[in-house]
Amino acid sequence: DLSHQTWYRNNSVHFYIFSCSFSGELLDPCGYIKPESPIVQLGSNFTAVCVLKEKCMDYFHVNANYIFWKTNHVTIPKEQYTIINKTASSVTFTDISLLNIQLTCNIRTFGQIDQNVYGIRIISGLPPEKPTNLSCINLFLMTDSSIFVFRATEKFADCKTKRDTPTSCTVDYSPVYFVNIEVWVEAENALGKVTSDHINFDPVDKVKPSPPHNLSVSNSEELSSILKLTWINSSIQGFIGLKYNIQYRTRDASTWSQIPPEDTASTRYSFTVQDLKPFTEYVFRIRCMKEDGKGFWSDWSEEASGITYEDRPSKAPSFWYKIEPSHTHGYRSVQLIWKTLPPFEANGKILDYEVTLTRWKSRLQNYTVNDTKWTVNITNDRYIATLTARNLVGKSNAAVLTIPAYDFQGNLAESKCYLITVTPVYADGPGSTESIKAYLKQAPPSKGPTVRTKKVGKNEAVLEWDQLPVDVQNGFIRNYTIFYRTIIGNETAVNVDSSHTEYTLSSLTSDTLYMVRMAAYTDEGGKDGPEFTFTTPKFAQGEIEAIVVPVCLAFLLTTLLGVLFCFNKRDLIKKHIWPNVPDPSKSHIAQWSPHTPPRHNFNSKDQMYSDGNFTDVSVVEIEAANDKKPFPEDLKSLDLFKKEKISTEGHSSGIGGSSCMSSSRPSISSSDENESAQNTSGTVQYSTVVHSGYRHQVPSVQVFSRSESTQPLLDSEERPEDLQLVDNIDSSVGNLPRQQYFKQNCSQHETSPDISHFERSKQVSSVNEEDFVRLKQQISDISQPYGSGQMKMFQEISVADAFGPRTEGQVERFETVGMEAAIDEGMPKSYLPQTVRRGGYMPQ
Amino acid sequence: MGTSAEPHSLVLGLLFLSMPAMGSCSDKYPELLGQLQKQADFMQHTNTLLDLYIRSQGLDKNGLKEHCRERPGAFPSKDALQRLSRRVFLRTLDTTLGQVLLRLAALEQDIPKAQDLEMLSGVKLNIRGFKNNIHCMAQLLPGSSETTEPTPTSPGASPSPTPTLDTFQRRLEGCRFLHGYHRFMRSVGQVFREWGKSLSRSRRHSPHQGLLKGARRMQLSGRNKRLMPRVQLAPGSHRGAPGG
Repeated sequence: DLSHQTWYRNNSVHFYIFSCSFSGELLDPCGYIKPESPIVQLGSNFTAVCVLKEKCMDYFHVNANYIFWKTNHVTIPKEQYTIINKTASSVTFTDISLLNIQLTCNIRTFGQIDQNVYGIRIISGLPPEKPTNLSCINLFLMTDSSIFVFRATEKFADCKTKRDTPTSCTVDYSPVYFVNIEVWVEAENALGKVTSDHINFDPVDKVKPSPPHNLSVSNSEELSSILKLTWINSSIQGFIGLKYNIQYRTRDASTWSQIPPEDTASTRYSFTVQDLKPFTEYVFRIRCMKEDGKGFWSDWSEEASGITYEDRPSKAPSFWYKIEPSHTHGYRSVQLIWKTLPPFEANGKILDYEVTLTRWKSRLQNYTVNDTKWTVNITNDRYIATLTARNLVGKSNAAVLTIPAYDFQGNLAESKCYLITVTPVYADGPGSTESIKAYLKQAPPSKGPTVRTKKVGKNEAVLEWDQLPVDVQNGFIRNYTIFYRTIIGNETAVNVDSSHTEYTLSSLTSDTLYMVRMAAYTDEGGKDGPEFTFTTPKFAQGEIEAIVVPVCLAFLLTTLLGVLFCFNKRDLIKKHIWPNVPDPSKSHIAQWSPHTPPRHNFNSKDQMYSDGNFTDVSVVEIEAANDKKPFPEDLKSLDLFKKEKISTEGHSSGIGGSSCMSSSRPSISSSDENESAQNTSGTVQYSTVVHSGYRHQVPSVQVFSRSESTQPLLDSEERPEDLQLVDNIDSSVGNLPRQQYFKQNCSQHETSPDISHFERSKQVSSVNEEDFVRLKQQISDISQPYGSGQMKMFQEISVADAFGPRTEGQVERFETVGMEAAIDEGMPKSYLPQTVRRGGYMPQ
Repeated sequence: MGTSAEPHSLVLGLLFLSMPAMGSCSDKYPELLGQLQKQADFMQHTNTLLDLYIRSQGLDKNGLKEHCRERPGAFPSKDALQRLSRRVFLRTLDTTLGQVLLRLAALEQDIPKAQDLEMLSGVKLNIRGFKNNIHCMAQLLPGSSETTEPTPTSPGASPSPTPTLDTFQRRLEGCRFLHGYHRFMRSVGQVFREWGKSLSRSRRHSPHQGLLKGARRMQLSGRNKRLMPRVQLAPGSHRGAPGG
């Protein structure tokens, strides 16, 4: 495989202007012109000189003054002449515009005879223009050829254009692919030489492949709608991938169809065309080009054709019959005639036809016919004939024809619908049939249409009905009339076209009973059908939902907002609606000392509540030293405590504190265990009223009030041991949440039960100043017997610290443990403790 | 066959430097590499040359083809090629192909048919085109002006067999040579494919990393520097012609 390479220019330019001088020669010229064969650029100046020979001058007695010039036989004005010397005269042309000028030098001899001395032809033109639109095509042909290349390392021989193809040149070198070559064109004439731009490319990108050859077409017996094409690719496919265009048409068509290019976008050797008609001849052609679209399409291949395989006939042949009288009594001769199927219906070569005849209640008889007509003697009975066409693949569907009985007579009845069919019969078979319905005489329908509702709305109703059966129509139904009314209203009539079977009544009143009936009319009159009633609903569909749903949503929204409001303002609501009522069963009197009423003895045990209803707890532990004054920092702490209580009203500042046993383990309390162990008799008479909330609700506050009374309050006040027992129970039950309590050193229980404890309710708006002063005073008194540092104040003690494990000995001090739960949950509330502490506790 | 590195290196140095600038090389490394790969892939097929030679020399009969096997060492092995730096690889390739051209010129004498000669001429043109691309690729490699890199020897690529061989032996030797040539081109194609993989890898990092890597390999592989005389020739002073 070799290639040709050609380049051309598309525009017409002065590519080569070859000079061709002409000299008007005389046998014995009297002179000559210089230059002799000038090629002058258009628009430039040109000067020619005519030189006379001495011999001639003497002979004719002339000199340079006798010279005159002519161009194309026209004398040039003398203003353009210049006498150079005796023998020479010049003529000058400015801005030459003619391409071809015949210039002659003449002399006038003897005063009247003009003689031509010499002549030249001036050729004017332009230098070559730069060749443009340089392009290359690499013709990949099966011929000996070569390529014209300039590569980075080698220069190949030039390609000379031919005169008849000045804008293209074909070079013969073997193709070298995948190597860039450089090509340019040089144009040269007498006036100059120019070079085109260089183009650089890989020849493989300029390939115009030779078309695929040996294209062949084959069909498939399995599929009648396909044809398979095979071909041999150009040998260029050893270098590049190819893509294809495949076109096809039927033999008698003029336009081509094309396979979608995306289906043939890669190198291949065959292709199966689908969706073709059976038993149809198709013509194909194919071309190719480089897969990536670079280069040129090949020429089209030679056409190849193929016929798709047969398929069963797609349609039954039309047929008819002719009846002729038979010589045999009781029989008649029937000739069946049919037409051949056109090729697009036959889908193959029709081999024969199959005719069947079926008499009423008799078995079927088959006949195979090769012709398009067939004659048979049959009885006068009614027959049904079928006809199928058969080809190599199969049979068509059957065409059916009824041959009426011989004695059929036309007793036409009135008000009966007849279908009249006319079939023309030509020489080559029956034509297309036409049918029409007809009545001998019409009558009103014998029955009216039955109307019913299809859909009933608030203001409209869709009515529907069935077409009247043919038997009751008695004529052509021209229209329907719908009558509808309410019970009290007038009847309204609506005419409806006969083609309709549905009608919508509009502008109805809601929640109303309607009665509707319908009449069908022929040309001869009408007939009413049965009456039908329906009631329009009060609400349209979805109307109720449209009302109920927003109302429900609004209600839910309101409820939700209310709940949210209550939740946010629950404290306020609780305060106003169900304020906390103290639970008398939780009442305690920690200590009662009528002798020292101003002094307050805070017993931590008094503040231990087993029901865990107290959520906001502040804990103050004051360990007082009886014989020492409190340190200033302790008093300062108390002041701080006071201030904090005032400023953080309603907020918890601590967690229920440790029990009496908490001294045996680390605690966040700053209480010094050793010092607290010496806490003794700084007793403060104090009474507490503790409530656990209303109806088991969590109280929002814990009321702790100091009793100013000296009168005994309750039994528990009289029986301090019971109180002590409750305290111990509280201490032993570790399931309380945060509590406010006083911590007491257990070692001083027996002797010094009065430990400085103070708790404050959340709802107490502020600490009573007077109480606080008393408290400070009491602390001062209490702290006297104790050394400095024995009085500590703490607030935050974790529940774990407060109800941590206790020592065994301490647990044994109680007869019952866990009594608290029984008291709170099951037992009736009582102001008296239900557990008696062993050993008792005597108030001081 | 050349046995010393120096003559070949000298010739290659002259070749690379003295290539006249007939046209400009493409500066697109991936495109040029792709062209080299495709050329190598095409030239490795025996139907481009060896089959022609076997058929023209009548070696396709009587099991003679079985004796047409590559002579070990005639062409650099694939492993040897893969070990070379890119620059040395290109020089080796250029040298070897130059020797193949010379050998083909010698084989032409044994090919009588004009059609076969025409085909052989096309093969030679392809090889020259391949050498052209090698030249352009060498210009794209970093440090293309460096000429001190030695070229490993091409052990057995002598231009012609020893003259003492008889005709049959000479034909068989030619067949073996061409067998090795196709195998060599297959190895060359594989090396270029590795270059392509390296390029695609380096593209993910930086556009010139692959080239730089090749340059580093080139620097590291100059263990035979002493064998390569320093040649400083002005470009274009010599018309490149591979020696052998």
